[in-house]
Amino acid sequence: MRSILVVLFSICSLCLFAQQKNFSKDDQGKFIYYKVVDSVNLNKQVLTSRASKFVNDFYKKQLKQSSATDSSVLATGKVVIDKTLLVAGHPSGEVSYQFIFEARDDKYRFWLTDFSFVPYKRDRYGNFVASTTISTPLEKPVGKLNAGEWTAIQESAYSKAVKFAEDFRKYLATELPAQPKPKKTETISTKKW
Amino acid sequence: MKKILTAIFAMASTTCALAQETPTSPLEISGSVDTYFKYDFAKDPRNAKTSFVTDHNSVSLGMIDIALKKKTGKASFVGELSFGPRGQTQSIPDAAAAGSSFNIQNLYVNYDFTDEFSMTAGYMGTFIGYEVISPVGNFNYSTSYLFTNGPFQNAGIKATYKFSDKVSLMAGLFNDWNVYSASRGVSAIGGQLMVAPVEGWTAYLNVLSGAGFGGYGTIEDLTTSYQITDKFKLGLNAANYDIKDSNVFGSYIGAALYPQYAVADAVTLGLRGEYFQYKKYGTTPKTSFTAVTFTANIKAGGLTFIPEVRLDHNSDKPFYKESGAIAPNAGQFSLAAVYAF
Repeated sequence: MRSILVVLFSICSLCLFAQQKNFSKDDQGKFIYYKVVDSVNLNKQVLTSRASKFVNDFYKKQLKQSSATDSSVLATGKVVIDKTLLVAGHPSGEVSYQFIFEARDDKYRFWLTDFSFVPYKRDRYGNFVASTTISTPLEKPVGKLNAGEWTAIQESAYSKAVKFAEDFRKYLATELPAQPKPKKTETISTKKW
Repeated sequence: MKKILTAIFAMASTTCALAQETPTSPLEISGSVDTYFKYDFAKDPRNAKTSFVTDHNSVSLGMIDIALKKKTGKASFVGELSFGPRGQTQSIPDAAAAGSSFNIQNLYVNYDFTDEFSMTAGYMGTFIGYEVISPVGNFNYSTSYLFTNGPFQNAGIKATYKFSDKVSLMAGLFNDWNVYSASRGVSAIGGQLMVAPVEGWTAYLNVLSGAGFGGYGTIEDLTTSYQITDKFKLGLNAANYDIKDSNVFGSYIGAALYPQYAVADAVTLGLRGEYFQYKKYGTTPKTSFTAVTFTANIKAGGLTFIPEVRLDHNSDKPFYKESGAIAPNAGQFSLAAVYAF
């Protein structure tokens, strides 16, 4: 029994250590989050239409479409990074990125790249606002003094990218619901019994 | 007055009603802690003529500042309190007598009627000027004459309309400066035009007219900053304050320039050059100060070290030498540590 527990514990530990926490790099040395997804029985028109709907409806607060073709969608995105203090926290900055989607029949791929970070500062009214207009590429190495904080920002951006990818895959795998018809409101007339 | 109160209550009621229907954001908690050592070259703390950093040869406290913010749908509040000399005796007003209590930095509610139009009521950091009470909001640790002599906070109700990301306009009715409740009624009117002509450049044109320091007066203020390159930023503050009664002390005019240059990721060097003049009042002639402050910001995570050298000059000799004799010049060195969370 004990040995079984040891084996299970070792497997769990390995899984935890193997879990990726930060971005991979592309051939230009830039951070990238890249996925190819098999999507059997869905042609590229359906996939592209769903991707476009995802950008313009489902994630419209975070994404802005920059261009589209019959098999691709390009958008720019922005996500707020939070600094957590036990149970509460506050925004510490925003990461902007490029979203690229390409579809073929029965499969598609998408990737997030060109990540750059703009730190927030608290203004005189207690609100967090961008402290500068100059953004820093997320893959840029920083000095020892700020390495810990920078790594936390990179990891937070990565976890947001993972969440984004999950949402995107689920959305593309799901049949889009038809627009609900407006319900006819029943009225009660006291003129007849 | 009744109309203003009715508007505030109506806004608060609407906020409560809508709060039940819309999702809430997490409670935001943020703040800062700061401490400093200062050495006056003439060993006389009376040479500090501006706010804060007043002690000599002492490791002294700034303040602990704690801010809460929550947004529920379109409604939000901010509550920010500070404890410690910078937020108590050296800020106006101190909530209790003898400087033993705390200072409210912000305490207001806000409602975003649309993405462009919002209204805010309560006690807010002033919209006038470049520098603020919180050390996190300033590059230099010591403060300018313009900051010291202008308003710190304004209680009131204001409306802001955002025409675009490049232009917005604020107008409001306010109490007299730095008071939780009005002593002369809601007696000041203020406005702010924000323009951002090019990316990285933001300018605020501010006016506040009504009850203020020294009676009734009008302050005009320009606050602007421009991130010219990745490494170089330039800030400017210019202001003019005229008290209606020319026999009362407190009217002033001045300007301060804030060039800053990032020499490394974690290190920025900056300078503040200021000219400031108290205007003539009654038979007392005007008197002018010039001050130059060299400051470095060294960042390590949430902590910022701020070494600073400051030199002040006034030919009317308001400063003191080590012997106690009056002098035209003063100088000081300080090292501050500010932690923001």
